[in-house]
Amino acid sequence: MKNKQTAAEDPAEMIPTESHEEEENEAPVKAKRSKSEDAGGEEMVCHPVKLSRSDLYRPPTAEELNQLKEAESLFHCSLLKMQMEELLREVALSERRKQQIDSFIQTVTKLIQAVPDSPEVEVSDLSWLSSAVKVPFLLVPKTTKGKFHMAPPASVDLIGSYPLGTCTKPRIRVDLAVTIPADVLHPKDVVNQRYPRKRALYLAGLAQYLASSSEIGTLRYSCLHGNRLRPVLLLTPPGKDSSSFTVHVHACPPPGFFKPSRFHPQKNNIRTEWYTGLQTSQSEGNEPPTPHYSSSILGDLLPRPHLQFLSAVSSQCSAFADGVALLKVWLRQRELNQGTGCFNGFLASMLLAYLLNTRRISNSMTAYQLLRNSLNFLASTDLTVNGISLAKDPDSTAPSLAEFHNVFQVVFVDPSGHLNMCADMTACTYKQLQHEASVSMQFWDNPTVDGFHSLLMTPKPMIRTSDHVFQLCELVKLQSSCKKQDLLSELMDHSGNYIHTALPFILSLLQQGLGQRISLLTHSLSPDPEWSVESEAPKHKTQPPLSFGLLLRPELAACVLERGPPADSPKAAEFRQLWGSRSELRRFQDGAITEAVLWDGESMCQKRLVPRQIITHLLELHANIPESCLRYVGAMVDDVINTGSEVPSTGEEDSLLVVQSYDDLSRKLWRLEGLPLSITAVQGAHPALRYTQVFPPLPLKLDYSFFDREKTTRSLVPKEGKPCPVYITPITVICHMEGSGKWPHDRFAIRHIRTAFHIRLGELLKKHHNYTCKPCPNHLDVSKDGLVFRIQVAYHREPQVLRESVNAEGLLVVRDNEEAQALEMDTIHKPLLTSTLHGLQQEHPCFGAVCRLAKRWLGAQLFSEDITEDTADLLVVSLFLQPAPFTPPGSPQVGFLRFLHLLSSFDWRNNPLVVNLNNQLSVTDYTEIKNDFMASRESLPVMFIATPKEKTLSMWTKKGPSVQMLQRVVMVAAESLKLLELQLMDSDQIQDVRVVMRPPLDAYDVLIHLNPKQVPLLVQAVDPPTVTFSRGVMAGNVAQCGGAVPVVGYNPVSLYLGREAFGDLALFFCDPHGGTVIAVLWKPKAFIPMPFKTSQVSARNVAVTGEEAKTIPNVEAILEDFQVIGKGLIKSVEARTEKWSF
Amino acid sequence: MRLHLLFKERAFTAYLGFTCTSGVKVHTKMAPSKKKHASNQPCVIPGGFTVLSLRFRSDSVAQHKLYVKEHKVRAEKSSHRPMDRTLFVLNIPPYCTEAVVNELFSQFGCVQSVELRDHPGSSQESGPKMSKFFRPAKKQGFKVGYIVFQNSSSLAEAKSHPHDAPLVVCTEQHPVRTGAQKWIQQYTESFIHPDKLQQIVDSFMEGYDKRKEEEADRQKKEAEQLQEDEEGWVKVTRGSKGTKARPHSEAANKRTLQKEIRKKKRKELMNFYTWQHRNTQKEHIAELRKKFEEDKQRIAILRTQRKFKPY
Repeated sequence: MKNKQTAAEDPAEMIPTESHEEEENEAPVKAKRSKSEDAGGEEMVCHPVKLSRSDLYRPPTAEELNQLKEAESLFHCSLLKMQMEELLREVALSERRKQQIDSFIQTVTKLIQAVPDSPEVEVSDLSWLSSAVKVPFLLVPKTTKGKFHMAPPASVDLIGSYPLGTCTKPRIRVDLAVTIPADVLHPKDVVNQRYPRKRALYLAGLAQYLASSSEIGTLRYSCLHGNRLRPVLLLTPPGKDSSSFTVHVHACPPPGFFKPSRFHPQKNNIRTEWYTGLQTSQSEGNEPPTPHYSSSILGDLLPRPHLQFLSAVSSQCSAFADGVALLKVWLRQRELNQGTGCFNGFLASMLLAYLLNTRRISNSMTAYQLLRNSLNFLASTDLTVNGISLAKDPDSTAPSLAEFHNVFQVVFVDPSGHLNMCADMTACTYKQLQHEASVSMQFWDNPTVDGFHSLLMTPKPMIRTSDHVFQLCELVKLQSSCKKQDLLSELMDHSGNYIHTALPFILSLLQQGLGQRISLLTHSLSPDPEWSVESEAPKHKTQPPLSFGLLLRPELAACVLERGPPADSPKAAEFRQLWGSRSELRRFQDGAITEAVLWDGESMCQKRLVPRQIITHLLELHANIPESCLRYVGAMVDDVINTGSEVPSTGEEDSLLVVQSYDDLSRKLWRLEGLPLSITAVQGAHPALRYTQVFPPLPLKLDYSFFDREKTTRSLVPKEGKPCPVYITPITVICHMEGSGKWPHDRFAIRHIRTAFHIRLGELLKKHHNYTCKPCPNHLDVSKDGLVFRIQVAYHREPQVLRESVNAEGLLVVRDNEEAQALEMDTIHKPLLTSTLHGLQQEHPCFGAVCRLAKRWLGAQLFSEDITEDTADLLVVSLFLQPAPFTPPGSPQVGFLRFLHLLSSFDWRNNPLVVNLNNQLSVTDYTEIKNDFMASRESLPVMFIATPKEKTLSMWTKKGPSVQMLQRVVMVAAESLKLLELQLMDSDQIQDVRVVMRPPLDAYDVLIHLNPKQVPLLVQAVDPPTVTFSRGVMAGNVAQCGGAVPVVGYNPVSLYLGREAFGDLALFFCDPHGGTVIAVLWKPKAFIPMPFKTSQVSARNVAVTGEEAKTIPNVEAILEDFQVIGKGLIKSVEARTEKWSF
Repeated sequence: MRLHLLFKERAFTAYLGFTCTSGVKVHTKMAPSKKKHASNQPCVIPGGFTVLSLRFRSDSVAQHKLYVKEHKVRAEKSSHRPMDRTLFVLNIPPYCTEAVVNELFSQFGCVQSVELRDHPGSSQESGPKMSKFFRPAKKQGFKVGYIVFQNSSSLAEAKSHPHDAPLVVCTEQHPVRTGAQKWIQQYTESFIHPDKLQQIVDSFMEGYDKRKEEEADRQKKEAEQLQEDEEGWVKVTRGSKGTKARPHSEAANKRTLQKEIRKKKRKELMNFYTWQHRNTQKEHIAELRKKFEEDKQRIAILRTQRKFKPY
C-alpha cells in the first residue's frame, strides 16, 4: 500500500488525484496510527472552557477590569482584538531578519561609498559603461545635452518604511537613497529629461561597480511605481537569503539642489521642440504644462524630509506602526498597494499622519481604531474633488489646491506643499479605494459578519471582485488611440508612456458610455517591471494586458435600450458624437422621439453581455482599438449550462416558462370545486420552481410510436430494445389540505386518505381542464404544457402522528424519528426554501444561474450525492446574503468563482455557516447558534448550515458530506478555482473552461462504463456527445393538455446505482447530468475479515481458520453482479486491480 | 503461521480474493476454476452453516455463496416458520425474487413458501394488511430467506448438497429479468387504474372504520362498568391497558412540571438584598472572564492552524 499518510496530515499539499480514498484505505491497516491522528484532530476542536470556581470568582484587579471592559466595549468581543494582534505578529519583521538587513545595508553602503570616479563625458556617450550593464532608461528622444561622470555619492541613507518601522512581510523592501554629488548635476538639468537620464546613468554606474562584488546576490532594475523616469536598482543578499528581502537603491539629487518652484504644476519642463525634434513656433510661455514629469523629479527631492516628518508623527503615536501595518494588509488584499498609481504603504502612512495632524484621530488610539478611522475618512472624503494637504504653512511659491485639481485627478499634497503624492493615481483607482472603504465600514459594524476575516484575511482579486472583466491585450494599439485623441502634450508629460497617457481618457470614455449600468469601473494597476541589469529597459508594449473590472447594477446592466435626449435638444449632438452611427432616432410608445441606441440581445445570457457590445463599440469608435485586442471575460463559464436551443440561452427563459405554467396550475387548483376539504396552500418544492434547476425541464412533444402502451391505463411505457426515452422531470408541488376532525389519527389511514385525494384531484383536473392525470398512492402526476407536475397532498398533522406512539405503560410518548423528519422535509422545509429562494431570484437576477453553475460543477465532479441540491442552493444563497467583503455577485461567473472560493476556504470545523434567509435572524440568534455549535461540535454534521427555521441541527447536511468527502470537495474546489482564474485572466492559457468540469477518475477502484443509448440525459453531459439517439421527441408545438401519460422520471442510471445492494461495500459516484461513467470506490472497512455473523454476510465469502469463520467480500461475484443487475445499461466494468490494496 | 493457514483455507474454499493479516498485505488472484474437491462433499463451516454455490448463469465465472441452516429459534413460536421444515438461507443476491428462490430450492423437495427479508429476525406483521401499492418499496439488496418445505426431509437434502455443484439462477426454462428489461417491467407494474386504487382505499378505510368502532365500543363498555349498579356499587378494575385518571401523554406531564417550576420562580426576588446584587456583579465579571478565556483558546487553536497568515 502506498504510504500517503503525510499527505493526509497536510491538506494543503494534497493534489487532487490523491483523493479521500486514501484516508479510507489506510483506515483498516493503520487503525492505530489513524486513531492517534484523530486524537490530534480532536485537540483542535473547541471545548467549553472550564475554569475553576476560585479562578472565576476571585476579586478582579483594576487593570483586569479595564482590560475586560475595553474588550467588551471597543471590540465586539475580545476575539477581534486578539485576532488583530496575531495578524500583526504574522506580518512584523523578526529580529533576526532585521539584523540580516542591517548588516547587508552596511555592506552595501560601504561598497557604494567606494565607487570610483570616472572621467567626464557627454551624457549621450555610453562608452564608459561596460557592455554587461545597460542604462535603465528608454532613450526617446535620443539626444540630450549635458555632461556626466561617476563620483562617490555625497551620502547614502535609509529612507521609506524600514527606518520608520512600518515595513511588513512578505516582499520586504528596504529603500536606500544614494545622493548624487552636486558636481555631477546642473541646476538646469530639470529640463528635457536631463536629470532623469543622469540619474539612470548614475544607477548604471553603481550597477557596474556592484556587479563585480561577491557580497551582492543579484542585481536587477525596476522603476518606482512603474514610472520609467524613476529607475531603481534592486539588490538582494547573496546565498540562500536572496529571496528574503530586496534593497531598492534610489539615486537622488542633493537636498535643495533644485528649487521647488520650478516644479509648479502649471510650468513646462519639457520643450515640445526637443521632444518632437521639429521646429515649432511656440514660445516658452505657450508650452503645455508637464505636471507629471515635474512631480516625478520633485518626488526625488523629498524622501528625506518625508521620513523626518513621518518619524516625528510616529514617535508621538504609539500605535502608528501597527496602524500602518494593518492598513497595508487591507490594501494588499484589495490589490491596491502596488503598481502605477497605487495607494501604497507610504501614502497610507501619510494618510494616518494627516488624520493625526488634523486631530481626527488621537495619539492614544489603538491600531484597530487607527484603521477604522482611516477607512471611515477614505469612505467619506472624495480626494478627486476636495484634495487634502499636509502643508501647515506653505511658502508663497507653492501651488494652491485648485491648481493641483486642474491637472491631477486625485490630490493629496505633501508637507512641503509642492508635491501631489497621488499624481499618478486615476480617479477610478481612488473611487475603487473609496468603494472598498465604504464596503468595509458597512460590514465592520455588522456583528453577524466575521469582520476580521472579511476585512483583513480575504483576498479580493479582480476576477473574483468584479462582475465582468475585460482585458486590453495588445497595448501597442494604445499609441493610435493617443494619436486619434490628439494627446501629444499629455504624451510628452508622461515621457512617451502611451499607456498611462491613454488610460484616463479610456476610463472616462467607458464611464460615460456605461453610465448607469455600472456602479464602479476599476482597472488593474500595471505592475512595476523588473529586468536584469544586462538587458535593455523593456518597451512599454511588453507590459502585461491591462484589465478592467465592472461592477454592474443588476437592474440596468442588461437593458438593451440606451435612450438619449430628444432629437431637438442640444444634448442630442453630444449623444450622437458619443455613439456614432449606432445612434438612431426612435419613436417611443409615449410619443417621444429621441435619440436612442438599441443593442442586440434576445435571451438573458445575450443581454448580460450588452456591456461588452458597448465597450467594443466605443473603443473601436473613439480609441481605434479593434475588437481583436479586447478579451471580454464576462460569461465564459456560462457555456456549460447552455441549453442548446437555437437562440443561445442559459436557461432563464425555460425556468420562467416552468414557473408560469406552475402558477397557472396553482391558480386552477385553488379554484377547484367539489373537494371534500378545501386546499389551504399550494407550494412548489422543486428546484425548477426557484430557478435553480441545472437544466430546467423543457416542454416536450412526444412521438407515441416510440413507446409501448400499458394495458389498463393506456399510458406510455418505454419499449424494450429502443434507446431509453427522453427523461421527463416530475416537478414536485405540495398541496396542503385543510385540517379537519375527519382526518383519521392513524398513519396508514392518513396515507389512504391522501391517496383518495390524489384520485379526486386527478378526476377534477381531468374534468375541468382536460389534463392527463396519473394518480398514485404517494402523488398525482399531471401533464400540462408538455411538462409534468407531481402533486403531493399533505396533511399538516401527519408528522406529529408519525412521531406519536403508545409505550408499554400506556403513556403517549412523542419521539422524533426519521420518517417524520423526511416527511417534514418534503412538505414543510423544501416548499419554504423554494418560495424563499424564488423571492431571492427576483432581487438578484443572476442568483439562479449561479446556483445552476455551482450544481453543474458539483455534479460533474461527482459530488452531487454528498452535497445535495438544497445544500448547494443554500451555499450560493449565503454568497448573496452575506457577500462581505464583496458585493452581491452581479454575474453568474463571478458568483461561481466565489462559490468555489467559499467551498475551498470556509473553516467548516470551527464555524457554522449561517444563512439568514429573509433576514429573520437577530444578533442574539447568531450568538446562540454559535454557542450551540461550539458546545456540541463533535456530534454535529461536518458541514454545518443554520437557517432561521432550523438553528441547531443543520438538517440539510445531516446525511452528508462525510469528513473525507468534504475534504475532497475542498481540495477539488481549490484546484478548480486556481485553474479557472488563471485561465480567465491569462489569455496564454488553454481556453477551455470545461477542464474544471472533468473529474479526475484515477482515484477510483472500479469504473462502470455505461451504454450512452440508455443514458437519457446524455445531451447534458459536460462534453457534448458525438452521437445522439432518437428518444421519442417530436418537433412542433406542444399541446397544452390531453394526450397519454408520458414516461415520467424513468432514468435507468439512477435505478441502477447499486447503493442499496452494495452500499456497505463501496461508494458510487456518478454525474447526474449525462455522466456515462459510474465510479466505484471500495470501502476499506468492509474489506477487513470479519467474524461470521448472520447479519453481515452479504456478498461475502467465508474462510475458515480452525474453529473460526471469517468473511471477506466476494469481489469477483460482485463485479459480475454489477454487470448482471445493469444488463443493457452497462457497456463494460473496468476493474483497476492495480490500484487495489487491501 | 497464520499466513500458512490462510493459504490452506483458501485452497479449501477455493475462493478468490484478498486476505489481510496484521502487517502483511497479500494480494493474490487465483484462477477461479481451480477446484480441488471433486468429491460430492457438502461444505460445512463453523456455526453449522452449509455453503452452497450459486451462479447467475450456467456459464458465469463468479459464484455467490449461500449459507443455509435449519431454522432454529428459541423464542419464536410462529406457525408459518415450522422449525423442522424451515430452511434459513443467508446471502441471497438482489436479483433473486421469491419465485426464483422457490424454483432454485424445489430441487430439494416441494417448497411450501418462501419469505425474503432484509435482515434475519422474527416475522412481525405489524399493522393492518395493505395492498402492495401502499407498502414501502422493497430494498434492492442481499436478502435472507426462510424457505418452508413440505417435507422435513428436504432440509437434510439441501444441507448435504455438494459444494461444487452450483445452483443456477437464470436458465433457459426460467429466465430472470435484470437490467433494462426489469426496470421497464417495474415501471409498467407501477401503474394501477384509478378505479382499482379507489377500491383499495375504500376497502382499507372500511376496515379502519370498523376497527375504530370496535375500539369505541370497548371503551364505552369499560366506562359503563365504572358506573354504579343498582345497589350503588362501583366495580373497580385495572383496566385493560392501565387507564389512568392523570394526563395521558408525556408532553402533558412535562407541562405540569414546568408550570410548577415557573410558579416557584415567580415568587423569588431578584437583586433585592445587597448580597444578591453583589452576586450578580460577580457573575458578570466571571462571565467576561470566561468569554475571554474562550476567545484565548480559540485563538490558540487558530494559531496552530496558521489561520492568521493574510496571504
